[in-house]
Amino acid sequence: MDATKEIYLDYAAATPVAPSVLRAMLPYMSDMFYNPSAPYRLARKAKADYEEARSRLAHEIGAKPDNLIICAGATEANNLAINSAEGRVLVLATEHESVLAAAEAKDHALIPVHRDGRVDMETLEKLLTPEVGLISISLANGEIGTIQPIRDIAKLVAERRQSRLAAGGKMPLWLHTDASQAVNALAINVASLHVDMLTLSAAKIYGPKQVGLLWAEDGIAIKPLLQGGGQEGGVRSGTENVAGAVGFACALEEATAHRTQEAKREQKLRDRLQKELLERFPWAEVEGPKKAKLRLPGLLHISFPGLEARRLVILLEDRGVSVGTGSACAASRMRESHVLEAIGAAPAVADGSLRITLGAPVTEEDIEEAAARIGNAVEEEARRRGLDPRTGKAA
Amino acid sequence: MGKKVFLGMSGGVDSALSCALLVEQGFDVTAVYMRNWSKDLPGFKCPWAEDLADAERVAVKLGVDLEVWDCEKEYKETVADYLVDAYAHGYTPNPDVMCNQTVKFGTFAERAFKEGADLIATGHYARTAPALTDGGPARLLRSADEHKDQTYFLWRVPGTTFNRVLFPVGGYSSKTDVRAACAERHLGIETKPDSDGICFIGPVGIRTFLLDTLEKRAGDIVEWETGKVLGHHEGAFLFTVGQRKGLDLGGGPARYVVATDTKENVVYVTADKMCPGLWTKEHTLEDCHWIPGTAPEAGECLVRTRHTGPLREARLSVSEDGKSATVSFTEPVRTVAPGQSAVIYRGLECVGGGIIAPDPVMKPRI
Repeated sequence: MDATKEIYLDYAAATPVAPSVLRAMLPYMSDMFYNPSAPYRLARKAKADYEEARSRLAHEIGAKPDNLIICAGATEANNLAINSAEGRVLVLATEHESVLAAAEAKDHALIPVHRDGRVDMETLEKLLTPEVGLISISLANGEIGTIQPIRDIAKLVAERRQSRLAAGGKMPLWLHTDASQAVNALAINVASLHVDMLTLSAAKIYGPKQVGLLWAEDGIAIKPLLQGGGQEGGVRSGTENVAGAVGFACALEEATAHRTQEAKREQKLRDRLQKELLERFPWAEVEGPKKAKLRLPGLLHISFPGLEARRLVILLEDRGVSVGTGSACAASRMRESHVLEAIGAAPAVADGSLRITLGAPVTEEDIEEAAARIGNAVEEEARRRGLDPRTGKAA
Repeated sequence: MGKKVFLGMSGGVDSALSCALLVEQGFDVTAVYMRNWSKDLPGFKCPWAEDLADAERVAVKLGVDLEVWDCEKEYKETVADYLVDAYAHGYTPNPDVMCNQTVKFGTFAERAFKEGADLIATGHYARTAPALTDGGPARLLRSADEHKDQTYFLWRVPGTTFNRVLFPVGGYSSKTDVRAACAERHLGIETKPDSDGICFIGPVGIRTFLLDTLEKRAGDIVEWETGKVLGHHEGAFLFTVGQRKGLDLGGGPARYVVATDTKENVVYVTADKMCPGLWTKEHTLEDCHWIPGTAPEAGECLVRTRHTGPLREARLSVSEDGKSATVSFTEPVRTVAPGQSAVIYRGLECVGGGIIAPDPVMKPRI
């Protein structure tokens, strides 16, 4: 393998647009540039293609096209969902910043998680009082890869909704899930997930950035965040992003088609990387559930307590490997990742943690090479800190 | 291992080279990034995350530990609040002087020595010379590069602190050489532009910063000579003596601020470049500080009233308690806004200085 090859292992942060997706999008940036709301034939064609993209997206997740709001990414979709809630909002403590920040503007409470990041169901049951109008729990966490038992949560929500109704309560109760990190690994079908709202992003599935969607069940009145021309049924004003929607539809179709096979492939590579690193550094700690089924297959959150991830990232960058530390937001704000705090990771574990995420372009050779380069960087930094690379303890 | 040095590292060129030089000289270096306070204002983007990343890259390259120390509280209380308070009272302060006294050579130095540092270092353009007497305070000298010299910002630091301070780039004769030395060492930072302005204010400017804390208050702009109202302003605290821009008097000759009265909220201006309010033959200094610990003897000295400003010959006399002083010039010099620092030199040595007091001649004459 070429020792100078750049190896990108941060697919949970961004994915390259797939060539087929790009090809599908390009005509809408030039020849088919028309405003879909305009009355003439050419514009009507753009509108038709846009609506077809909506139908294709809906089809992929088992939804009706009219229940989809196409918007500018998962952050907006999450904000739309939470902003539309009546009553108190319950969000998982490990949710993405967009969910946490939107909830902060409302009466809200955080649902705690266990050490592996799984929702604390007992506490959730207690928090689920008659004042609660919305629960938001992501299908899979993008930092440590924990997959949530969303169907169990949906069951609990259905029971409570029933008893609330029986008691004459008027407050609706909805379950929202941000599935943007899960699409490459899990089947996304709104009916079988039994959720009321669902967020997806094109940017994590080899589609364009700043394109996403919120699916909302019939009867949920989504409150617009933007006022204007009344596009998307008056819920999301702004000229429709035809190229984005078409690209999103292609990307989602491809993700669905390749999901099982690709997830299996990535899991194999991830397990191999994990094994090699743990063999070389038995003192390293892997976060997230132990059971493979409960953890995103292409994600490895590994910590080297005693070392600083900020430095490891630079050492790896010098060796041509791009990885994340904790969550991207936490890194730029220089405080401990809220996810690691929520699961109760020790500060040394949080400081020394790397998030390595795999994607379709990553090959077996890449992983072999990455394992060697990461291993060398960790070893060098451990030595410099006066630690024995075999034990992680003072040499 | 050599002596233990804690180096203040900002992510800039000067402290990066300082780090490399200390490592080459065999010191046991710990780099420290001091996280300062910054205001959450619209349009204000504090670059500290990028600066920290730059500092980290250099530290990794040199194999040096980088710690991040949270200096937000000291910074907010002793620098930012002081700045606003001074402006509210009609002074134009030098926040960098405060920052060096209370944060860099205050909190940082204290904590570094507590954590076992033998010495501290910064990327300032300045030099030190050994004490004249055994165990006495070290002396502060201007840097080899007279254009970059930063002793103007260091006059409130006691000489006893300088006994344990290193300025690794103080001997470089130009910034070009410093950048070249960075490039030679492949620090990857040699093209980073110099930072200027007040770090916690940055691009939003002092006006936006002050108006976020202090209330706008409509007042008159008055002609100094005639007492005639020429226009209006939004708060006398927003103006500085000598200021020409931003008066918005709708044409006419260029006018200069000669005095501000923050109590009565009046700004006095003149169109006469020779107006006595714009010139003075002496500065009265308050709140003086002397680096050796005792006031210098009266006599000839060199005075600098702004960073990189000219070094002017003057005569210094100091009050008995050393807390105030006067510098007199043979020829009139431009007045300096009250609150600015006047820094006193004897030859290359910076002996201390004081805060320029409001000009007694310029008390409102209505």
